[in-house]
Amino acid sequence: MTRDEFKNKILTIFIEDFEFEQPGLDDNLRDDHGFDSIDALELLGKMELILGFSFTREEKEAAMSIRTINDILDYVEEIKESRTQ
Amino acid sequence: MKRRVVITASSAITPIGYNKNDIIEHLREGKSGVGVLRDDGLLTKHIHSRVFGTVDYPIEYGFKRQYRKTMGPVAYYACQVAKDVLESSGLSQEFVTSGRLGVAFSSTHGSPTVQRDIYKTFFSDLDSKFSSIGAVDYLRSMVHTTAVNISRMFGITGRIIASSTACTTSSQSIGFGYETIKYGMQDAMICGAADEHDTTTVAVFDNLLACSVKYNDTPECTPRPFDTNRDGLVVGEGGGAVLLEEYESAKKRGAPILGEIIGFACNNNGGDLILPNLNGITATLRLALEDAGIQPHDVDFVSAHATATKMGDVIEAQAIDAVYGDGPLVTALKSYMGHTMGTCGVIELILTMYMMEQGFIAPTLNLENVDERCSMLRHTREVTDTETKIAAIQNFAFGGVNTCLLVKNGRDADT
Repeated sequence: MTRDEFKNKILTIFIEDFEFEQPGLDDNLRDDHGFDSIDALELLGKMELILGFSFTREEKEAAMSIRTINDILDYVEEIKESRTQ
Repeated sequence: MKRRVVITASSAITPIGYNKNDIIEHLREGKSGVGVLRDDGLLTKHIHSRVFGTVDYPIEYGFKRQYRKTMGPVAYYACQVAKDVLESSGLSQEFVTSGRLGVAFSSTHGSPTVQRDIYKTFFSDLDSKFSSIGAVDYLRSMVHTTAVNISRMFGITGRIIASSTACTTSSQSIGFGYETIKYGMQDAMICGAADEHDTTTVAVFDNLLACSVKYNDTPECTPRPFDTNRDGLVVGEGGGAVLLEEYESAKKRGAPILGEIIGFACNNNGGDLILPNLNGITATLRLALEDAGIQPHDVDFVSAHATATKMGDVIEAQAIDAVYGDGPLVTALKSYMGHTMGTCGVIELILTMYMMEQGFIAPTLNLENVDERCSMLRHTREVTDTETKIAAIQNFAFGGVNTCLLVKNGRDADT
């Protein structure tokens, strides 16, 4: 799955499941949309289903400092790269 | 310090309606809210009792996702009635978040719907489905989910009481809320309970042979409290909330006084967890009178717990007779909607206040031939126009828990 394809799926989740209105790729998820740690854990579960693999405990903890959708895309690319090495 | 505690707002979602006018119409016209048990695709086909006190009308909730994400169906009922009482109360936002307003709210066992979904996942395939157990499933299903979703939604920072004692859940919420204000720990409390549609509760009572099964084709004819042909209880759903306030501050801000809680008692039978106990129940009724400092003849109306089980109604009738004789009118309000479990106490209190305000008492529905063992009471057999000054709300629960609330007509708060 390309970065662009994953981005579209994530945007759909933010709009349909988290009811964001016009999410921007560099919006601060917490400050601009009230996205909290509970939401983050729910999102990680949905991302695992899209990606077809589970995150490790360390990977999930690292995700807690993510602030933007672009950060999420970078985060996923890093994890995918580390698993292909 | 002992302070007076008054009720200044109320709201109930019941099988006989959501708003006051609908509920009063059902009570005046003898319209039942009992219908057919909805199919849950799991247990319903195995249950002998096919009747249920159903909330079958749409409710516009309008809760934002940031709140919905931690709410199961039970919390929707709870937050809706809490929102109603706060909106109608006129309390300032400053007071709501001051720490002087608390919440006493609970349910029989949180959200069975969410719990069932967790178990479905758990028993299907643990390895691949584990991650689909959501991070918020516990918050949606836990036993105090109603109380803390209310406090979260409205920014309430005072005490949280979440007593979950089956059928006495909401009468304990109100009783403990009353004591919290009476002794100065809080100035106001949102009190009540909610219970969602749940077939596991029906299955439990069905297996105990305590559910009504003979009226599956005529749901409106059951339950039949105190009637010779009663055959058990009907489970129901709903939610209810009252706002309790310290009397002087409520009066000062011009709040409407709907009623005054003047007494509360709660005890335990100290033995069997299921069978009703005459000594325990009788003691509760007397303790409530003692707490209120009134005599039995001061009570005009008894809202009986009366679930329409074979023994429960007889034991309660004996207790009422021992304490009150044939003085007060007695009505079993569950005859209109079934047993809304943890919510029954608050709903029965609210219905009693409606009747007090309107100057009438509704009869027990389906009471055609009074069981001779219950015949010593002054049963309400038809709509009776009367002024009620003080009423008793009685509730008894599995686990041997008994409660009695005494409420004074709000009109008489200044006398």
